Amino acid sequence: MADVMTAELAPIDRGVPSPSVGIAVESVSKAFGTVTALADVTVRVAAGEFVTLIGPSGCGKTTLLKIIAGLVLPDGGRVLVDGRPVTGPRRECSLVFQDFALLPWATVQRNVEFGLLLRGARAGERAAIARRYVTKVGLAGFEDAYPAQLSGGMQQRVGLARALAVDPRVLLMDEPFASIDEQTRRLFQDDLLALWSEERKTVVFVTHSMEEAIYLSDRVVVLSPRPGRVHRVLDVPLPRPREATDVRATVEFTRLVDNLWKILRKLQ
Amino acid sequence: MTAAAEPLPLAGRSRGGGLVDIAAILLLALVWEIVGRLDVSMFVPPLSSVAVAWWRLAADGTLLRAASSSLVSLVQGFVPAAVLGVALGLAMGRFAALRHVLDGWVNTLMSAPLSALVPVLIALFGIRDTVVAAAVFVFSFFVIVVNTMTGVRGTERSLVEMARSFGAGEVAQFRRVYLPSALPAIMLGLRLGAVQAVKGMVVGEMLISLVGLGERLIYYGNTFLITDLYAVIVTVLVIALGVSQLAQSADRALVHWK
Repeated sequence: MADVMTAELAPIDRGVPSPSVGIAVESVSKAFGTVTALADVTVRVAAGEFVTLIGPSGCGKTTLLKIIAGLVLPDGGRVLVDGRPVTGPRRECSLVFQDFALLPWATVQRNVEFGLLLRGARAGERAAIARRYVTKVGLAGFEDAYPAQLSGGMQQRVGLARALAVDPRVLLMDEPFASIDEQTRRLFQDDLLALWSEERKTVVFVTHSMEEAIYLSDRVVVLSPRPGRVHRVLDVPLPRPREATDVRATVEFTRLVDNLWKILRKLQ
Repeated sequence: MTAAAEPLPLAGRSRGGGLVDIAAILLLALVWEIVGRLDVSMFVPPLSSVAVAWWRLAADGTLLRAASSSLVSLVQGFVPAAVLGVALGLAMGRFAALRHVLDGWVNTLMSAPLSALVPVLIALFGIRDTVVAAAVFVFSFFVIVVNTMTGVRGTERSLVEMARSFGAGEVAQFRRVYLPSALPAIMLGLRLGAVQAVKGMVVGEMLISLVGLGERLIYYGNTFLITDLYAVIVTVLVIALGVSQLAQSADRALVHWK
């Protein structure tokens, strides 16, 4: 009971991440005007699972992510996070944005504190938590820099730190590495996996990249375009931790990426 | 951060350009002096005699009296224009209904030749110095409204979405995202508004020709005291430059991340 209470109050710095929760997307549909973006989409994500949504442009993967986040309400069906229906933005979920969505007028430290500020954390607590996550994403020493002074990769590290600082149980990532160069992206993917195995969040990740989907995920959900439906769900049986070994160089990895490509090619 | 040099009318550039600016001013002064000495026209007296006239008018208190009256009107008109202009601009930026009703009016009045309104102000307020404050208000208000509104509307959607995802309601979104995001545009509006305010001040004073520097301009112009006329013009220019610099300093202090 005490645990349920604290979850609704201001974020409390426990020092250890909260346990993750599962997500159930049940027969969700969504139309924008006359365009049907999603039709009868059902996806289940287990607690602590890393699931990627992939599909051709216009398949509604970002819309689905925003519906899970509670930013967009579905026309039909429902989403359950931790067994409770989503009716608006939820404390359990944090978003990471494709364009980073950093406040240009605020320093790295202030940007990372922003979610905590909006959720009513006190100044001292905010500063301490934010500093810890700035360090965790590898930006120690950049606390007083402004976003415009950072590279794209560093800016997204700020975005990730901000999302993690509110201790979410679910991390929703909308093409977070799409505008980051290939080398930085690979390093960031490894760091993300390392962070994930440390914090064990439930992750829903949207991407265009097949290699990225296979490398990161436990399962890959392939959506078909207009209207978006679940076309296939693939298991990725690659062993973890993947960031420590050279998984990308294995035959199994190549085979999985190739298999995903064969599925996606038919959808184009 | 690099101090980006923004080329602005009437505004000095950052450090590196300082010497060039001074050289340009000195060159212009030299040309003025030479043309004046050539005695081309009685309407172009040499700079040195303007300087002498300025000193005389400054010493006998004429300029101080006129300028202080002008500056009081400037403040009386500009402060309400800034406060109400920013408030209306924020409201119009945030509420589409209000914007649809007022947008046409505000845009028309921003680009209209506002001097034409001064006779209306005289009819409304009578020939008193409140007309000058009213002219200052009318000249500066609309540009402040439009810039503030544009700033609010230019707020990145993804920033608003990000704030919403962390549970920000309308008030928090406004305070934490829309307002800071609009700040550079608001400061630009205030800067342009301040320059407009000086125009309103001079136009208002000239039309009622009763108080302030504008009255002196009309008086010296009508009595062909050309050097004195130039002395007042120089004073007006200095005030315009000072107001613009002040607004720019405020901008730099508040908008430090650009």
